[in-house]
Amino acid sequence: MNSWYSSHFSSLYIENWDGEFTVFQPESGKTHFLNEMGLHILTILDGSPLRLNTICQELSVHFSLQPDTQFFGKIAQTLQRYEALGLIERVKENE
Amino acid sequence: MKVEQLSLDELRVLLAGQGLRVKMGPFNLSVQTRLPSLIHQLHQMYAHYSLADEDEIVEFHVRVIPKRSIRQPFARLIRFEVDGRSPFPPVSVEQALATLEWGVNLVIAMRINHLLLFHSAAVERNGHVLLLPAWPGSGKTTLSAMLMHRGYRLFSDEFGLMAPEIGDFFPLPRLMPLKNQSIKIIRDYLPEAILGPEIPGTLKGTVAHIRPPQESIERVDEAAQPRWIVFPKWVAGAALRLESLPQSEAFLLLATNAFNYEVLGETAFDAVTRLVRSCECRKLVYSDFDSALAALDELTDG
Repeated sequence: MNSWYSSHFSSLYIENWDGEFTVFQPESGKTHFLNEMGLHILTILDGSPLRLNTICQELSVHFSLQPDTQFFGKIAQTLQRYEALGLIERVKENE
Repeated sequence: MKVEQLSLDELRVLLAGQGLRVKMGPFNLSVQTRLPSLIHQLHQMYAHYSLADEDEIVEFHVRVIPKRSIRQPFARLIRFEVDGRSPFPPVSVEQALATLEWGVNLVIAMRINHLLLFHSAAVERNGHVLLLPAWPGSGKTTLSAMLMHRGYRLFSDEFGLMAPEIGDFFPLPRLMPLKNQSIKIIRDYLPEAILGPEIPGTLKGTVAHIRPPQESIERVDEAAQPRWIVFPKWVAGAALRLESLPQSEAFLLLATNAFNYEVLGETAFDAVTRLVRSCECRKLVYSDFDSALAALDELTDG
């Protein structure tokens, strides 16, 4: 089982545009365009690593959602995308 | 001193020798050529540009020179060079002016990184800049041509040049390449406009350059702050729409539209954020110049 955490959250430049967010990532020089849930994922991963289940649980509480398997799949995809972009890092359970 | 104050012979000596050093917005450009047709065209089309002082640094040194081809021994070809390098394949001599102008634009887009470069037309009205960012084919050159003959000061039909730290935009009024049907539209709509020769067979079809108004060139040192960002799109037969655009969308469009956004990194992110937050953002769909002009006049009044 993997966990993820946002390793450079404090270095990100975040601008709020009425609930949509532009995020500048100094390490890559890229600008990302996120919705509220996309940014919230980064926010809850700032600090200690969380597993997919915990992340989905936090999101469903925050956004008043009923998580289903599709939701889990989408969040897993988002985490993989964030990892590829260098926004978050994966931590193996035994590390 | 202006180019128009030079006789054709004096201009020919400069172009064939040390180069014609002209002031192009915040840059100086040196052009060398011996092509008689191009010399005549530059005498007319560059008439209002000022010569750069002798002690001023010239950012870009370009040449348009004849090119011999083994494959086409009888073709009259030319080559555009910047600092001795040729970014384009040779083209026919008739395309010399278009190639020179595109070449200079390419050099500006590739080399200027102290300013944030938007792919955008820019005009000034009532002391503030109206930015018209658009991709090629959106009609921004034709729209700029129309606006600059209806009371707007031309900054550029191609580049929004922004000082990222202070937010000022700089004028860069250069020849504007009208393409294909736009040439006739402008000839009909703006009979007072000064157009260069029609140049057929370019990569973009037939091109004719429109000369910026004298006032726009003479006020080239007057930068201005932006106030409006309008993303224009000409659509045949479309009813006029000038609609508010969410700032987040404007940010995204501007960031992806800028030539050097990623090069400037954090500086560009901050600059685009400030730009969008300080401007009214709209999208414009139009098919008719008069109604587009009326809508932009209303937006930029007062």
